[in-house]
Amino acid sequence: MTATTTGLPAAEVTRPRTVLVGTMFASAASFMAFLGVVLVYISERAQARTDGAEWFADGAVELGPAGFVFATLILSIFTVQWAVQAINAGDRTNALVALVLSGLFGAAVFNQLWFIINDSGFALSGSNSEFMFFLVLGTFVVFMIAAVGFVTLTFLRAVIGQFGPRKADAVAAAAFYWNTVVAMYAIAWYVIFVTK
Amino acid sequence: MTMTESPPANDTASAVPAPVVAGLYDALTTTDHKSIGRLWLRAGMVLLVGAVVLGVLLGFERVDSESTDLFGGDNAFFQVWALYRLGLALLVAAPLFIGIATVVVPMQVGSTNIAFPRAAHAAVWAFIIGAGITIAAVLANGGWGAVDRVSNEEREAIALSIVGLAMVVLSLLLASICIATTVVSMRVKGMTLLRVPLFAWSMLVATSVWLLTLPVLLANMLIAYVDIHNGPGSFGGDLSGDLGAYAQIAWVVEQPQVYAFAIPVLGVLGSIVPVAAGVRAARHGLSMGLIGVFGLLSVGAWAQPFFQPTNNAVVRYDEKFVFIAFGLAAILPVLGALGGAADSLVRGRGVQGVPPAHLLGALGGGLLLLAGTAAGVARVIEPFELGDRVTVAGVMSLVLFAAVASAIGAIWFWSPKVCGHELSPVAGRGAVMLVVLGGLVVGASQVINGFFETANNPLVAPTEDAGDVLNTVALVGMIVIALGAVGALATLLNAMRTGGAGTADDPWGGQTLEWSTATPPPPGNFAEPPALVTSEAPLLDVSSDEGEES
Repeated sequence: MTATTTGLPAAEVTRPRTVLVGTMFASAASFMAFLGVVLVYISERAQARTDGAEWFADGAVELGPAGFVFATLILSIFTVQWAVQAINAGDRTNALVALVLSGLFGAAVFNQLWFIINDSGFALSGSNSEFMFFLVLGTFVVFMIAAVGFVTLTFLRAVIGQFGPRKADAVAAAAFYWNTVVAMYAIAWYVIFVTK
Repeated sequence: MTMTESPPANDTASAVPAPVVAGLYDALTTTDHKSIGRLWLRAGMVLLVGAVVLGVLLGFERVDSESTDLFGGDNAFFQVWALYRLGLALLVAAPLFIGIATVVVPMQVGSTNIAFPRAAHAAVWAFIIGAGITIAAVLANGGWGAVDRVSNEEREAIALSIVGLAMVVLSLLLASICIATTVVSMRVKGMTLLRVPLFAWSMLVATSVWLLTLPVLLANMLIAYVDIHNGPGSFGGDLSGDLGAYAQIAWVVEQPQVYAFAIPVLGVLGSIVPVAAGVRAARHGLSMGLIGVFGLLSVGAWAQPFFQPTNNAVVRYDEKFVFIAFGLAAILPVLGALGGAADSLVRGRGVQGVPPAHLLGALGGGLLLLAGTAAGVARVIEPFELGDRVTVAGVMSLVLFAAVASAIGAIWFWSPKVCGHELSPVAGRGAVMLVVLGGLVVGASQVINGFFETANNPLVAPTEDAGDVLNTVALVGMIVIALGAVGALATLLNAMRTGGAGTADDPWGGQTLEWSTATPPPPGNFAEPPALVTSEAPLLDVSSDEGEES
């Protein structure tokens, strides 16, 4: 016999912000994976310095181009949040423009990182420092690709009208993941390019 | 005359339900959380049997390593040994709990399905494929490192085993996101986070810890993989005699991280014992807090050699205050949870006659976990110097077999919802008792063996006669576990395949929403919307309300 619960008023099954919550968990996992690589970088660098060895040769890693990447990503934070605000306000045109701009900023970041990697002259099979340089930036690029893909998917779904003021979760989720990836770069920028 | 007749009354208690498994098509296309959960459970149970069979073979080798060579050399022995350890955690304990949670948690929180069902479905198949790749790579002389020089083919197999395990970890993470999101955002109205059933809560804590720590394992494996192919050979890629990547990823089966795979043991304990005792559990909030604290103390991704500069001036991670404090404190929430269970049993109707399998599994798992955390306390006490000894493996065995015993108990408890009918109580009692007894024998013998200076590295023979004796005892324990695992697997697979006698929707007098569904639960779980939840035991509220009305 089914245990009845009709003695109490029925409750509705709710699904508030499921995509956003799931994205938050995925963002936390992505961030920890990136942090795992960065901590190995820091550990190896501490080891090298304790041993009196040089980590990077002078001038091999420059702050300027890396700063441009960071500036681009900071601009992109404003554009993704603009998209969230616009979709919440029911302004689809602004939301689409903001999402396209965010994607373009992402493409610019790939371009700038390609320049930084070529400019360094490092090889993956070189020293421990060169290896870890590639690993940290490579891991960041993987997550950046995921973020650009998420924003592109959101854009396509917005184009066909799946989102609106009452259904803006996915745009907020894409923005959250994007901001997490920007935070990853902030760490990489400080650890690799500022403190070298 | 009408051509349409009324359907016959559906008396679920007396009807013989059809098998719950609908074949390969269903397995490949389903988005029903119950079918997905059953896939996890079948995979986890098959891999459990595989793992304990490996454990038995490794035990034979360790008992007489000089004249026995079951695996064809030191490399293969080391690689199978690593597969057994990593597999027990990542291919057995975690999938079993994910399987149970995928079936039960959505019903416990009053949801019609799991969050992101297609992702959950993709996760289970990614897991099965990843596990297959991992095992195939180890059979091809892969693994996570080598103790002797390797050929180019073996180097590729080693890289492949890293890829396979990475796929397994990714699938566990994806399934974790689905379960955690279900608990956070798909609860029925009235079920605040503080009213979430203890098993669902323990899964939220466990999946959160896995989501924060297993990505670090992925990072470790990424570094080792790239190093094997193109790196300088300093990060696990140098396969000319050290332990390679295994040395960098072993933290996942050592304390404190190994406790993370046993967090749901406390949830199973808190869900089953009050039902068996027929009382409302006291201090639900405190129980949630204890599970949360245990989860916090099981975060162990930081305790690994990758984050440990090798120079002598730096204190080893396992000699630091935080590591020791985590090891000492982890026993407290387990004691608290067992105290809560004892309180329920004392206040309740007690156990009439032979205890049911689920109660044995819940209590046995809890007691094994207590033994594991107690061994963990001994492990961190510095004067014992057990850090490089087989005691480390003893802690792992006690904790992971606690998880297995608890999972088997949970499968038997929730079998009406998992399989559509109750599983054989005799087979359940036998399986649980064998796993608990064998787990205790294996774990205790390894813990004690550490005090005789037997090394954790399986290639180093014991230095004292007592070490050999204890290795033999551990082998006997492993054979006992294997018998229990085979019995549990056979019963579960047979039940899923053939169906069984009709079962009441709520045979135990359950307290949470999953017991208000039919057996087997229909698609969408609830024939009518669940009632507004006003406490952590909504079905007890209904009983008391009905009692007052009459």
